Amino acid sequence: MNFLRLFARNLREGPYTEAFPFAPAPTAKRFRGKIEFDAETCEGCRLCERVCPAGAIKMERTAEGMTFDCWHDTCVFCGNCEFHCPTKSIHQTADWHLAHRQEDKYRMVEHGLIPFQVCTECGSKGLATAPAAGSANPPLTAEEFQHVKSLCPKCRGKFMRARKTKAKA
Amino acid sequence: MSSAVTTPGKSVGKSNYTIPVGPLHVALEEPMYFRIDVSGETVNAVEINAGHVHRGIEYLATKRSLNQNIVLTERICSLCSNSHPEAFAMAAETIAGLTVPERGQYLRVIAGEVKRLASNLFNVAILTHLVGYESMFMHIMQVRETAQDIKEGVFGNRMDLGAMCIGGVRYDLDEETIGILTAGLDKIEPEVAEIVKTFKTNGSILRRTKEIGVLAKEDAIACGVVGPVARGSGVDYDVRREAPYHVYDRMPLEVRTFDDGDVWSRAMIRLHEAQNAIAIIRSCLKELPGGAVNLGTKLDIPPGHAVAKAEAPRGELIYYLKTNDTEQPERLKWRVPTFMNWDALGLMLRNAKVADIAIIVNSIDPCISCTER
Repeated sequence: MNFLRLFARNLREGPYTEAFPFAPAPTAKRFRGKIEFDAETCEGCRLCERVCPAGAIKMERTAEGMTFDCWHDTCVFCGNCEFHCPTKSIHQTADWHLAHRQEDKYRMVEHGLIPFQVCTECGSKGLATAPAAGSANPPLTAEEFQHVKSLCPKCRGKFMRARKTKAKA
Repeated sequence: MSSAVTTPGKSVGKSNYTIPVGPLHVALEEPMYFRIDVSGETVNAVEINAGHVHRGIEYLATKRSLNQNIVLTERICSLCSNSHPEAFAMAAETIAGLTVPERGQYLRVIAGEVKRLASNLFNVAILTHLVGYESMFMHIMQVRETAQDIKEGVFGNRMDLGAMCIGGVRYDLDEETIGILTAGLDKIEPEVAEIVKTFKTNGSILRRTKEIGVLAKEDAIACGVVGPVARGSGVDYDVRREAPYHVYDRMPLEVRTFDDGDVWSRAMIRLHEAQNAIAIIRSCLKELPGGAVNLGTKLDIPPGHAVAKAEAPRGELIYYLKTNDTEQPERLKWRVPTFMNWDALGLMLRNAKVADIAIIVNSIDPCISCTER
């Protein structure tokens, strides 16, 4: 190895290190960073909670509905939740800015809420989760999706069964 | 711990000492404890004491579901972090009788070889650091940094690729990521060729590594060493060739051996395998078929047991998985390359100079985290 040539090259190109925090550090598009949760599209299947190897994800029934919490201080950023999520309601952003003060350590949480709603058909209370539409054949249209979403689990089942018999006929 | 004992019959001034090296030592990267009996500057006997980074992962694995264990096994060790979930997934697939889609198999090879490239460069860099050639160390680490950039760009993380899942891979390549991959390889390839040239000609490296830590072929076979340590001692064995998995039988795999069995031979094997890894990745990219990359997320692994093996950067990695009716495995056990290789350290260190201990220990590329899990 010609170190003189290498020396000249390094002198010309300057340091390899990033100027961070004085300048932004380039981040790969696919970087697996902070978790982002979308309560709108979540089916509430809680698969993410089950596949999370670190136990960072907690989904809980409260008075308001179903809460989603991902504790970033426990998360190992493996992306298992995103991989297994049937609706891709969880995804990893390229944001890696997670340095925080000690007193903020319990606030490094991605929080979401799937609220309770009143069923538009029968008036009973149910979670406003996205309908499990993956197996619907033919696939749900946008209006159908919104309609099913406004129903309680019982009415959803009724609607889907009726739709199935109609599709068969 | 050290005690001076004068042995009768030895020349005056040459006394026997017992010196402790590790578990925390400036020249060791991993916590390992050596009790070394020296006579003057020469090593007489070595006793290896392990257990400093035991974390109970085998037990932990039986408390996690198979899908969670893909992530847990990836975190056993950082440098072979791809080979662990790879072998684990292969065992699960054997139990369930699953065949990974062809594109998934190619992508598995790419992930494995990218890791091998970075891991081998890292070990060679540490060798130059221990030799005292710091500028070379910085340079090789910078070359490896390009491999790290590939990993971050393609897989999203510098160490834990998160590439594997049961039934295939979790990532896919598109035009952009293939661009990152080829641009990175184009940058690394000439640099590695230069590093190889330096290793063949540089006096400081040659003087510190040639005929140091010799492991004869018979001893290598007796110890059952694997990976670059075995190939550096003339044992012609590579899992990728002997028991081809994924699509390695179609790859331009070149298994090279050296007969000297010294530190230099092992470093040269690693450098050659880094170069070969580049050739394998290129050939994968050329032949990459279309189609699915995995079998989906809803896989059923029935009760059963299976053994799978893969060639990690450090050598043969064997996984044993036993499943039952539950989501959690009944037993998960693995044998890592370092477990086979560190036994040979006793032979390599015999009659070595105290100053060479760190170089010789590094030459087996020890991974204590894997071994003690």
